[in-house]
Amino acid sequence: MNPQFIMDGLITGAIIGLGAVGVTLTYSILRFSNFAHGELLSWGAYLALAVAGALGYLSAGLTKPIAPFSFGWALPISAVIAIGLTGLLALAVDALLFSSFRRRGSAIIIMVMASFGASLALRSLLEFLFSSRPAYFTKALQIAMKLGGGLRATPDQLLMLGVALVAVIAVHLLMTRTDIGRAMRAVSENPALASIAGIDVRRVIRTVWFLGAALACVAGIMSGLLIQIRPYLGHDLLLPLFAAAILGGIGSVPGAMLAGLIIGLCEALAVQAVGAEWRAAVSFVILIAVLLVRPRGLFGKAS
Amino acid sequence: MTDAILSTHGLVAGYEPDLPIVRGIDFSVSSGELVVLLGPNGAGKSTFVKAIAGLVPIHAGTMALNGRDITHVTPHRKVAEGLAFVPQTENVFATMTTLENLQIAVAHLPKAKRAVAIEALFTRFPDLAARPSRLAGALSGGQRQMLAVARALALDPPVIILDEPSAGLSPKIVSEVFEMLKAINASGVTVLLVEQNVKAALAIASRAVILAEGRIAHEGLPEELASDPLVGKIYLGTAHHHQGALA
Repeated sequence: MNPQFIMDGLITGAIIGLGAVGVTLTYSILRFSNFAHGELLSWGAYLALAVAGALGYLSAGLTKPIAPFSFGWALPISAVIAIGLTGLLALAVDALLFSSFRRRGSAIIIMVMASFGASLALRSLLEFLFSSRPAYFTKALQIAMKLGGGLRATPDQLLMLGVALVAVIAVHLLMTRTDIGRAMRAVSENPALASIAGIDVRRVIRTVWFLGAALACVAGIMSGLLIQIRPYLGHDLLLPLFAAAILGGIGSVPGAMLAGLIIGLCEALAVQAVGAEWRAAVSFVILIAVLLVRPRGLFGKAS
Repeated sequence: MTDAILSTHGLVAGYEPDLPIVRGIDFSVSSGELVVLLGPNGAGKSTFVKAIAGLVPIHAGTMALNGRDITHVTPHRKVAEGLAFVPQTENVFATMTTLENLQIAVAHLPKAKRAVAIEALFTRFPDLAARPSRLAGALSGGQRQMLAVARALALDPPVIILDEPSAGLSPKIVSEVFEMLKAINASGVTVLLVEQNVKAALAIASRAVILAEGRIAHEGLPEELASDPLVGKIYLGTAHHHQGALA
């Protein structure tokens, strides 16, 4: 068996893990499965593409690749802007849709159905604005470097793995060492108690939307840079994202990342062992197995 | 008696607008009082204090804290205004440590004052000081109740409302909790207490109010209520043999 599946699995897993961190945070605090989360990955990638394009138009020097990577300064700058824009998009969707259901005390199933609707609308809008043709941040080709042990990776891939690691550590520290992180955990455990403990629950909900969308944007940009950008980019990752969030244990940031890596590795292993057509089934099998054997996941708290 | 620090006027509250549990309560607590709310099960005591804290929808009437209308103020703003509430159950963040529970409580203070505030709480509650890293869910019932009260006292509120703090505790711990409430009241904090433990509550209260069917049925000094057999029989479920103990 070619050990390269480990590197392929880690890269896919890092993208899934970052997206799953957003899913697990929004699920634990907003208490519904947001099926529009995948669209935030797609929108993040397209927003970065649009901003990078505009920056390249303003200054061609910004598109000149920064050795040894395949992209110029336009991409990191546009990534920062796209993170903010994707966060604002999530806040806008919440303000226009979900907050009114929350105010009315709507049932969870209504929130879930609303998220399906939001997902469709956001994806259709992307196709309308950017077409369904695949797009790329860069067309420059990269040669994979030998890493030893039969593993190879491009500088872009290694950088993205590093970015994912830094992002997850940063979110974990935010959750455990800061006021807003403790407030998020408090709201996740008991929103009513949180409110009488002096926590502004609405502010926490806004923070969670922004943070989840920001991580989705980073995952979308990673996927766009390492594979390609398509309107279905996030939608196709939805099942692995939810499988990772549930396997990691709802509410656990390190759990979601670790579970994302596990799912990525399992998918890559399945491609080698039984063929690429079985890749999508891996997440489904893991999801069902976790729900049957250990519903609270690897790091979830028993209810 | 000094001016009212907390008052409600014609308060109607409940989870459903057409099914109010609190049905028009005019009520006030004066600064420095320890008022106990008594009444049979289903009288609306818990719903009334939850409505004051902002956890149950209010359908009519008003409430004021220190003369300022707080009827539609959000729960977290009420905390900032000086109204602390300790619910009967699920009153600590079980998945967080003792210290994290207190860190949440002092988050409104300037950063420089937080450590001092937590240290003061640990001095006041030495049982908690010995277990800062223990998950709140792993504390004993009495320790959890102390943590809930410590969390509520973190911002030095002028008013604290407690919903049956003795529920589910052993008799020894119950007497400790009532001693603690007496001490809190003696330190100048106005206390509004919902209790089923009539004898212990009347022993520390400066005034007692009895609710029945969502309205105030009776109020007076604890010794008056304790010696009124009709009140005891109708509203408090106390038999004649209690009177001797209460006297």
